[in-house]
Amino acid sequence: MSERAISRGGALALLAAAPLVAGCAFDPNAIRVGSKNFTESFVIAEIYAQALEGAGMHVQRLFNLGSTQIAIAAMERGNVDLYPEYTGTALIDVLHLPPIGNSREAYDVVSKQFAQRYRIVWLTPSPMNDSQALATTRAAAARYGIATISECARAAPQLRLATIQEFLARPDGLPGLQRFYGGFHFQEVRTYDIALKYRALLEGKADVASAFSTDGAIATDDLVLLRDDRHFWSAYNVAPIVRAATLAKRPHVARVLNAVSPKITDAAARAMNAAVEKDQADPADVAAEFLRR
Amino acid sequence: MPDFTAHIVQHLALAFAALALALAAGLPLGLLAAESPALRSAVLATAGVGRTLPSLAVLMLLLPFLGVGVTPAIVALALLAIPPIVIGVDLGIRGVPVAALDAAAGMGMTRVQRFARVVVPFALPVSFAGLRTATTETIASATLATFIGAGGLGDEIVRGLQTDDPSLLFAGAAAVAALALGADAILGFAGRYAGGRA
Amino acid sequence: MNAATIRFDGATVRYSGANRNAVENVSYDVRGGELLVLLGPSGCGKSTLLRTVNRLVPLASGRVEIDGSDVNGLDAVALRREIGYVIQAVGLFANMTVAQNVGVVPSLLGWKRDEIAARVDELLHLVGLDPATYRARKPSALSGGEAQRIGVARAIAGRPRALLMDEPFGAVDVVVRTALQRELVRIVSELHTTTLFVTHDVEEAFRLADRIVVMRDGRIEQSGEPFELFDNPATPYVRQLVHAGDDVYRRYFARGRELLRSS
Repeated sequence: MSERAISRGGALALLAAAPLVAGCAFDPNAIRVGSKNFTESFVIAEIYAQALEGAGMHVQRLFNLGSTQIAIAAMERGNVDLYPEYTGTALIDVLHLPPIGNSREAYDVVSKQFAQRYRIVWLTPSPMNDSQALATTRAAAARYGIATISECARAAPQLRLATIQEFLARPDGLPGLQRFYGGFHFQEVRTYDIALKYRALLEGKADVASAFSTDGAIATDDLVLLRDDRHFWSAYNVAPIVRAATLAKRPHVARVLNAVSPKITDAAARAMNAAVEKDQADPADVAAEFLRR
Repeated sequence: MPDFTAHIVQHLALAFAALALALAAGLPLGLLAAESPALRSAVLATAGVGRTLPSLAVLMLLLPFLGVGVTPAIVALALLAIPPIVIGVDLGIRGVPVAALDAAAGMGMTRVQRFARVVVPFALPVSFAGLRTATTETIASATLATFIGAGGLGDEIVRGLQTDDPSLLFAGAAAVAALALGADAILGFAGRYAGGRA
Repeated sequence: MNAATIRFDGATVRYSGANRNAVENVSYDVRGGELLVLLGPSGCGKSTLLRTVNRLVPLASGRVEIDGSDVNGLDAVALRREIGYVIQAVGLFANMTVAQNVGVVPSLLGWKRDEIAARVDELLHLVGLDPATYRARKPSALSGGEAQRIGVARAIAGRPRALLMDEPFGAVDVVVRTALQRELVRIVSELHTTTLFVTHDVEEAFRLADRIVVMRDGRIEQSGEPFELFDNPATPYVRQLVHAGDDVYRRYFARGRELLRSS
């Protein structure tokens, strides 16, 4: 799923979070909460961390671990107790299994496999589904009559795509779409920095952009997501994944996080991402605001 | 890899367009700086600051004004290339031996003739050095075009980074280096040929 | 070649910001074909006076005439192409060959290619350099003495009416300088070109001059033939100037030139 590059806001947020990490450096009772290296991961990890602190636990934040591989390795070594992970990512990048479009099914597979292979427990997943998507402006959707991925595949020769390099290479990116849906021979394909991709849409230099369903820009720029009518993309629901050993000692952790996780919806995720990326808000503040509601 | 070739062509096209623009702006500015002491400090101070600005910063600063795409990429690259050209032209012209200019005036050359026959040949090698610097810097900086959808070899480098493919990353970076070194070598050759008459 | 007459009539030059005139009310008639030396210490105005003739320096008041015409009324560029100009640093054009350097004025005057080529060879001979060896050389490959010879050749290439020389031999070593001085005397007497020669070197003045003009603080102290100055210095300053050093030595050289001229 969403291996986004660090946004500028995320980097700033990280600098702001550093004192927190330093503060809890040597507490043996602290729960160590990790995150990967993109905005949404920071925000959700903050939600988990603040929820645990709200329940009276000490938390040590070990954010910005890097890629999925690094995060899993940290868990296995026992350097990190829990972090937010996506069912799709676990399925495809960790277990190397084919994608599963159905959220329930995907969750069941990964939680069973992770328990067996890594002694990692998947807690209650969130409704938010940060899957890959194609986004367009309302105007372009109307002009070209596209509302679904299938329609986009057929209309592609009239359309200009704005995307990132990774989308052109990954199996669930453009190559996968071309194989699964057929068509998708765009008139023009241009790649951008991940933070600038939507500008091309807004400046009229592109008609369609690759996206993640919970990108903040979808809310703030009033974009439309094309419906994945044939369910090509995997489900990418986020859930707290915890070392079994940690849960055995602190079962409290599961109760706290399971109460919070179901509240994270697509809309909530988009709003929080937008706040950090567009308004330069601190992920810690955004998470706090979310928990207050 | 058909993409790779296309990116090399894009990369070179961006660099050349930017350099042409930079020459068009930089040559007159350099001449102006050399002729007028009052303007020289202003022009050279600006050029000095321009040289220290990170290329990415310039690209991002232009975003609100020019948006994304090929045009802003070329403009940003041109802005980065102007300082070394201006500095080179100014230095070249001011390095013309006073004795040669005095003799040229005394023997009855007009201002235009003095410029064409004495100033230009003397100023050319140093000015050319400024162009060489601008060229290698521009070819290297053109990797940033990928961020705003203008293509080039930056696409390969970014893809290598995002897909964790070190060989692709290396191929892209090596290609940029090869282009920069190649251009530098060609210009060096051309410079020696032209300067051989100096 | 015309041996031009040059007349200074109340010539005064002032550089902006200076507290006195660089040249103060100088009047003098230069005879056609003569080698006139302007002699004096640095700052006396001799170079400035020289450069009023080809209008590299403007007059504040007074006139300079060449062959009876006010130089101010002539086109400056055309005037300069008819007056040879040699400076101490030579100012050869490093991007041109020796032949191209020498041929600059003829080409500015619109001569034909073969005329220029012939003239270049002729001049290289005249200044004592073998054309075949030197024609295609670049200035960077020349010694100080060779460069200055080329400088002289370049100055007379266009058959100028007059020749202006500003301490041309100051930058070469003594042995070379002596040879160049001898060459110059030979060339100038062959060509009969009116020559104004600026120097601060008293020996050089005595060796070269038909007449000497001694300058000080922008004014003429005394002028006349070398012997005249030597035998009858008009002021203490002139006396001190010409009598500094070995009398006999000086007398011998001055005498030597007289002999050369009369032969």
